[in-house]
Amino acid sequence: MSQSIKINFTINGKRTELTIPPYMLLIDLIREELGLKGTKPGCLEGECGACTVLVNGEAVNSCLYLAINVDGKEVITVEGLPVTPEGEIDPVQEALIQHGAVQCGFCTPGMVMSIKSFVAQCNKDNIIPSPDEIKKAIEGNLCRCTGYVKIVEAVESLF
Amino acid sequence: MKFNVVSPENTKELLELISVNQDRYFRFGAGYTDLLIELKKQPDEDLTVINLAQLTDDIFTAISKIADGFRIGSLVTAKRISLSKDLQSNYSVLTEAAKKLASGQVRQVATIGGNICTASPAGDMACALVALQANCEILNSNGTLRIIPITDFFTGVRTTVLQKDEVLRSIVIPSNNRKNKIYSNFIKIGTRRAMECSIVSLAYHILTDEKSIITHAGIALGSVAPTIMLAKSACDYLLGKSFSSLNPSEIKEFSQKILEYASPISDIRASAWYRTEVLGNVAKSIFEN
Repeated sequence: MSQSIKINFTINGKRTELTIPPYMLLIDLIREELGLKGTKPGCLEGECGACTVLVNGEAVNSCLYLAINVDGKEVITVEGLPVTPEGEIDPVQEALIQHGAVQCGFCTPGMVMSIKSFVAQCNKDNIIPSPDEIKKAIEGNLCRCTGYVKIVEAVESLF
Repeated sequence: MKFNVVSPENTKELLELISVNQDRYFRFGAGYTDLLIELKKQPDEDLTVINLAQLTDDIFTAISKIADGFRIGSLVTAKRISLSKDLQSNYSVLTEAAKKLASGQVRQVATIGGNICTASPAGDMACALVALQANCEILNSNGTLRIIPITDFFTGVRTTVLQKDEVLRSIVIPSNNRKNKIYSNFIKIGTRRAMECSIVSLAYHILTDEKSIITHAGIALGSVAPTIMLAKSACDYLLGKSFSSLNPSEIKEFSQKILEYASPISDIRASAWYRTEVLGNVAKSIFEN
């Protein structure tokens, strides 16, 4: 079991080369190797979405993704969302704050990443999503505090 | 959880790796949404994972129109199936099943081949493919192809006809012959609408001629037997009948024929009684809505 594999990928815009064990999960690469603790470990079996990150712009569960398979790809975590020099955070994060859509906050980084990928897809397809389409888009993210209503309202406000 | 990984980039490398690992314990990994959960629960063994995620051959990764239908590579993801306009217009039972599978994050990586080979009686895309009476194209390590109907593919809960030196390469869905209208949908019943493993599922793909007479029917049932079932006698019963004017006693008889294929269990998700009641009602709903 001494096999290790070299991967080249981009994390939050930064090109990175690492040698990792083949069985390493993407969530462990992000949290333990790179020290980016914004990505949360929840159920660790793909149910809760707390660990959601973007791989090539698409939301995936980092707990069910082999780290070696990000070779050649672009990974974005919640830490990689842009902050302007004036301190303005990403519009998705701002909308969640403005709508009171964050309570304990544990699900929020994953929720933000799912919403990011959904908003990008809607903008690309020139679609204004309905509340049902928004609910469908966040079906893979559990939130035990808010009851989702404020989250859905926050997403609606982005269009 | 520890294992070795080998990552073939083309079919030739894949077949070589299958061949050299015949005496070892190995598993295929594609989308990993089932495999990693399973491996996390197992004690570490001397396992090699043949990682299919970096395989780029079109025959494994493309959706293509062929002379007698469509071919879907086993590595095509649920997301790509759900977005395919060709599949949506011809086989919406499959695109609807793909849309209802798990969550966006899972659909992004989960593959149709994985959904088949994991051989769960609750497999969503697999159920649709049984209704479509698709064929499985299986490669062995010598490069020999064998084709078997998906209705013969499953041998029990999580078991299939695949031999250790074989891999599911692609799936072929037959053309919709002599159709006027296509009634094709996937009904999934769960305790919630998101991230749900079905309590009962029913996939139907019914073709009618210009007089609304049913010329072809494929109906598959999920989560009510050890494997996904093609309800053959219920399909045959529909042939020659008018889709739009089945009378209540015909609908009831159809529903009873569906139930002959159900041998559900009671588990954490639902009781056997509930599954049977729901299946009967879902079957009727095809013609009542």
